[in-house]
Amino acid sequence: MGEIILDVRDQKTAFFTARGMAQAVDGVSFTLERGKTLGVVGESGSGKSVLSRSIMRLLPGNAVVPGESKVILNGRDLTRMSEKELRRLRGPEMAIIFQDPMTSLNPVLTIGKQIMEVLTFHMGMKKRDARAKAVDLLKAVGLPQPDVRVDQYPHQLSGGMRQRVAIAIAIACEPDLLIADEPTTALDVTVQAEILDLLQRMVRERNMAMILITHDMGVVAGRCDEVAVMYAGRIVEKAPVRDLFHKTRMPYTAALLSSIPKVTDPPHRKLDAIEGRPPDIINPPPGCPFAPRCKYAEPACDAGKPALEGGARHQWACIKPLGEEVAA
Amino acid sequence: MADVTSSQQRSDTTGKPEIDRNALAIALHKKSRRFGAYFWIPMVWLIIVAIACIFAPFWGLPPADEIDWSYIQSPPVEGHPLGTDNLGRDLLSRIIWGGRVSLTVGFAAPFIGVGLGMILGMIAGYYRGWADEVIGILIDAWLAIPGLVILLLFSVVFGGSIFMVCVSLGLLFIPTAARITRAATLNYAGREFVLAAKAMGASDFRILRKEVFPNIIWPLVAFILIDIPIAIVIEGSLSFLGLSVKAPTPSWGGIIAEGREVLSTMPHIAMYPTIVMFLTVLSFNLVGDAIRRRLADVREGAI
Repeated sequence: MGEIILDVRDQKTAFFTARGMAQAVDGVSFTLERGKTLGVVGESGSGKSVLSRSIMRLLPGNAVVPGESKVILNGRDLTRMSEKELRRLRGPEMAIIFQDPMTSLNPVLTIGKQIMEVLTFHMGMKKRDARAKAVDLLKAVGLPQPDVRVDQYPHQLSGGMRQRVAIAIAIACEPDLLIADEPTTALDVTVQAEILDLLQRMVRERNMAMILITHDMGVVAGRCDEVAVMYAGRIVEKAPVRDLFHKTRMPYTAALLSSIPKVTDPPHRKLDAIEGRPPDIINPPPGCPFAPRCKYAEPACDAGKPALEGGARHQWACIKPLGEEVAA
Repeated sequence: MADVTSSQQRSDTTGKPEIDRNALAIALHKKSRRFGAYFWIPMVWLIIVAIACIFAPFWGLPPADEIDWSYIQSPPVEGHPLGTDNLGRDLLSRIIWGGRVSLTVGFAAPFIGVGLGMILGMIAGYYRGWADEVIGILIDAWLAIPGLVILLLFSVVFGGSIFMVCVSLGLLFIPTAARITRAATLNYAGREFVLAAKAMGASDFRILRKEVFPNIIWPLVAFILIDIPIAIVIEGSLSFLGLSVKAPTPSWGGIIAEGREVLSTMPHIAMYPTIVMFLTVLSFNLVGDAIRRRLADVREGAI
């Protein structure tokens, strides 16, 4: 067992909306050790991004988090902290990389200035040292000609380069926890693998812990230690990555996996899309949120929300998990 | 591949016109980016006026309030290149010293107004909620008071102080500046780079200063450029009515007002300051327009 960096306990995040309370994250718990990567997978609207912002405490004003929810980072409870204390942790202890590097960089400042800003602010560096460090960081994230690029504006860089810059900013203060919120979704497919490799290398070299949020099963496959599948604000299955792919228990995970087209499929084969749409989180169904779309659903599924069960390694939230007869 | 080689061959055989065409396009592009005569001629005039006013004490002109008893209401003569006014004071000297008042007000008032308006607008646009409501109501209330009343009130209470003229004029620019800033801030406060800065531990003040301000500064610069000639004209009107700086201190509007009394016999007294003021305001407008257009170009190119 490594050192536990992050311990999320029963995180619930709801939003006041015109139609009522929207329960975006509904009781998520997990722990994350140093040097490990947790993949969080789910459809659009399953609460992945809200979960990441809940951990960072970057929620908008209409968000409600009940008192029993706890986010413990390096032994300190973030939910008990003032905004001022949180500001000191954002950067040196936790950092986030956003989906679209087009919008997460300031268009009117040079990328060097944007990196130096963090260094001068958190590390108290002099301007000259900060600039040298910024060039080093750009070199570390594999940006070509870092000493030229440092004085360029975001619009002079390609999408992949911009995401490298965003990564450089995020790791500038050597955070313990790095959250990557769909870091490759806005990028060209050819660049995706490079960025993911870079993230993986940074996590290993700097011994951080990473949460990799994505909707792409292929992204988590080779790069995470553990994967949590989210559906309607809840973790519905959590397992080491190998088990998740080979010993799938939750029908939702199975449906997600079978909806990926395979190279070995015959041409013009129809994709196994999941029928229906994710449930309305303002008026959720009473039972298992996936039951209305589940091939294996039976009346008992609508009786109540199934809790996570299973061992320490592999957990699932289903009263009738797949592969039961194999396990038994 | 075949296409590439064939086009290469073609450009080899007709190499020269190809280059010329590009050169022409580049030259046209450069020309369209350059400031034209409509910028440079007024700019030269403004530089002349500015140098004349800033270094007024060094030109060896007679003091603006010195009376030359031998030349009263004189047309241009030796020693008085633009003649003298009703009391025999040198007109050129008075116009130059009066320009100091006009230019001071012309620059100070927009900066005071836009400075204060920017602070209010940024607070309203960034924090929203009750701060936005309160500032919105204050600005609406402020707009409900006629500008002339405020100017008159200031001139009655603080009579003749040039600083107070700047402040009272500046106050009139606050509502528009605040609204422009609020709209621009709203546009940028919700952007992801603001959230990203927050995620790296930046405070609200730091975000406003480092992330929002560099983005909203250009519309405000454009607004200042529009306000400078307006402020000069209003100051001229005020001093024409005798509501600006006190009497012995010359100002363009004041000289015109004095010249009005003898307009039929000595039209040059009112004419010269009017021409100077007209050219200066026109020049500020032309230069401001050119710069604003360039700012818009740059912004489009950058994003």
